[in-house]
Amino acid sequence: MFSVLQFESEIPNLLAEDAFLSDDLLRQLMDVGEVDLLVGISSHDHARTTSHALRAIERSVQQHFTRQRAVIINACGEEKESRNKAAARLRILAEENLRFPKLAALRTIHQVNVDSSVPPSAGSALHTILAAADLLRARACVVLSPGSADLTPDWIAKLLAPAYQDNFDFVAPIYARHKFQGLLARNLLYPMSRAIFGCGIRELYSDEWGFSGRLAAACLNQDVWNEEHIRARPEAWMAISAMAPDFRCCQSFLGPKMQSTAGYDTNIVEVFRQAVGNLFWCIESRQSSWLESDRSELVHTIGPDHELTSETTRLNRHRIFELFQSGVTELEPMLGSILDPVTHAEIKSAVALEESKFRFGPELWVRTLYDFAASYHHAVINRDHLVQALVPLYRGMTFSFLIEYADSSAAEMEAGSDRLCGEFARQRPYFTEKWKAMIEVKS
Amino acid sequence: MKEAILRGLEQAYSNIHQMLADFLPRFMVMLIILALGLLVAFALRYILQAILSFTNLSRGSEKVGASSVLRSAHLPAMTVLLSRSLFWLTWFCFILIGLSSLGLAGFREEVFRILHYLPQLFAGILIVFVGLIAANFLSRTALLAAVNAGHSSARILSWLIRSLIWILTISMTLEELGVAGKTVVSAFSIVFGALMLGLAIAFGLGGQDMARRSLEKYLGDTKKEAEREPNPL
Repeated sequence: MFSVLQFESEIPNLLAEDAFLSDDLLRQLMDVGEVDLLVGISSHDHARTTSHALRAIERSVQQHFTRQRAVIINACGEEKESRNKAAARLRILAEENLRFPKLAALRTIHQVNVDSSVPPSAGSALHTILAAADLLRARACVVLSPGSADLTPDWIAKLLAPAYQDNFDFVAPIYARHKFQGLLARNLLYPMSRAIFGCGIRELYSDEWGFSGRLAAACLNQDVWNEEHIRARPEAWMAISAMAPDFRCCQSFLGPKMQSTAGYDTNIVEVFRQAVGNLFWCIESRQSSWLESDRSELVHTIGPDHELTSETTRLNRHRIFELFQSGVTELEPMLGSILDPVTHAEIKSAVALEESKFRFGPELWVRTLYDFAASYHHAVINRDHLVQALVPLYRGMTFSFLIEYADSSAAEMEAGSDRLCGEFARQRPYFTEKWKAMIEVKS
Repeated sequence: MKEAILRGLEQAYSNIHQMLADFLPRFMVMLIILALGLLVAFALRYILQAILSFTNLSRGSEKVGASSVLRSAHLPAMTVLLSRSLFWLTWFCFILIGLSSLGLAGFREEVFRILHYLPQLFAGILIVFVGLIAANFLSRTALLAAVNAGHSSARILSWLIRSLIWILTISMTLEELGVAGKTVVSAFSIVFGALMLGLAIAFGLGGQDMARRSLEKYLGDTKKEAEREPNPL
C-alpha cells in the first residue's frame, strides 16, 4: 500500500517530465501499479501479427515467471478493431489456461495499449515503453517486434531472465544464421562498435532485446528523442548506451531466425542509412566516452556465441562485383574527398583487377571504414550522402567475403571474424588520430 | 587688350581659387569618410569572422554542400567569404556616400540609383548561390541513388539534373536583375516546355514499348537485385 502511495505521489513530477504520454495511457499505467517485468511491443509494421506476439508473451510469463507481476505495453498504435480481436484471443487463451493449471500465472498479466492517431515511429514507441518502465519501476524489460515469425515463449524468457535474475542491464539476442546472412553486422557493425566502444555486441540491430529498469531510466533521461536516427531505429543506440562502464551487458542465444539469406525487405541504401548512419552518429555523439578510453571487455554469452548454417543459396557474385566496380568508378570524385589519398589509391587499383584476382583485404576495409567515420565526423560532405557512398565499397567487401569463405566451416569463419576484430583494434590509433587531427585543422 | 587678358586671368584664377576653396573641403570630407569607412569595414569584418567561427558555420556549410560549391568556383571558405563580402559592402557604401559628398552635378542621382539597385543585386547573388547548392546537392543525390541501384547512366542523370537547375537558376537571376526579363522568361518557358513536351512525346508515343519494357525491367530488377545480394542485417 505504501509503495502505491509513494508511486502516486510521484505522478505529478513524472507528469511534468513525461508530458508526451497521453492522459489515457497514464491512467492505464496508474491502474497497473508497480511491476517486475515489462514486455513492450514496439514495431508498427506488423500490427496483424501482434496477437501472435501477445500469445507468446502470455505463455512465457506463465511458464517462466509465475510469481512475477508483469505488464504488456502495446505501443504499436494499431487500430482499436484489431486490438479488440487480439484481446478476444487473449481471453480465449486465458480460459484455456484455466484448464491447464500448470500454465496459469499466479498474478494477472496487465495489458496497456497506446492509442495514437498515427502509427508511432520505432523511436517514439521505445520512448513510450521506457517511460512506462520507469513509471512502473519494472526490474526487467523486453522489447519485441511482433513481425518476428519465430517469436517463442522461450525467446522472451531468455531475454528477460538475465536482466531479472542475473542483474544484467542489456541482453542482446544471438541467432543461429546462415553463414552469408548479416554480413553488414559481421563485417562492420559488430567489429567497429567493439573496437571503438570496447564492448562487442554481435546483434546491434535485432527485433527483440532485453534490458533492466536502470538502463531504461538512464536512456529515458538522454536528450535524443527528437533525433532522426533515434526515431527510425533506436536499438543500436540503446545497445551502445549499455556499453558504458556503468552497465553490464550480455548476449543470449535464442536459436535459428527465419530470414532469407538472399534478399531483404528494404533496399540496401535504406539499410545503410539507418544502420551505418546510426552507428556513425553514435560514434560522433558519444566521442567523449571512447576517444580517450582503451577499454576492451568480453561480453558474457549465455549459450553458443555463434552458430552458422550453410545451406545452398543463390547469390549473384558477378553482379555484386560489377556494382562495386561501377560504383567506385562513378563516385570517384566523392570518394576522393572522403578517403585518405593512400586508401583511395589502393581502392582504385583494386577496382582495376580482374574478378578472379580481386580481394578486399581486412586491412584496407578497416582503413576505409575509419576514413569514412572520420569524414562523417568532419562533415566533409553531406552526411547522408557519405553513408550512401559506402554502399559500393561494402559490395566489394561482400564479394571478397563470399569468395574467401565459400567453403569455410563455422569455426574458420569465426576465426576470420576474430582477425577482423583484431585489425579494427590495431588500427584504432589511426582512427583517433584522423578524428583529432582534422579538429585541429578546422579550429 | 592686355588689361582684358589680365582681367580674364584674374577671373580664371579667382574661379579656380573659388572652386578649390569649395572642392578641397568636400574632398577632405570624402577622404575622411573613406578612411572612416575602411576602419568600420575592417572592424565589422573581424567581428563577423569571430562570430562565425564560434557558430561552426564551416561545418554547416560542408554539410549542405555550400563549401564544395565554393571550392569548385575557386572561392574562399564560407566564413572568409562572408566576412570579406561584408567588408567590401560596407566600404562600397562608404565610397558612394563619400563620392556623393563631393556634390558633383548628376552624381548624387547616380549614387541613389546604384543604392536602389543593391537589394536586387544581392537577391540575384543569393539566387545563384542557393541554385548552385541545390544543383550540387540534388545531382549528387541522383548520382548516389542511380549508382547504388546499379543504373548504367548514373552520371548522365546527375548531369541532366544539375543542368536543369542551373538553367532555372540563371533565368531566375536574370529576371531578378531585370536584364531582358521578358525575353529570359519567354526563352526559358519555350526551352523548358519544349524539352518536357519532347520527352513526353518521345517516351509516351514514340517509345511506348520501350517505356513499358523499362518500367517492367526497373520494377522487376528492384526485386531481383535484392535476391542477388546477401541480407546485410
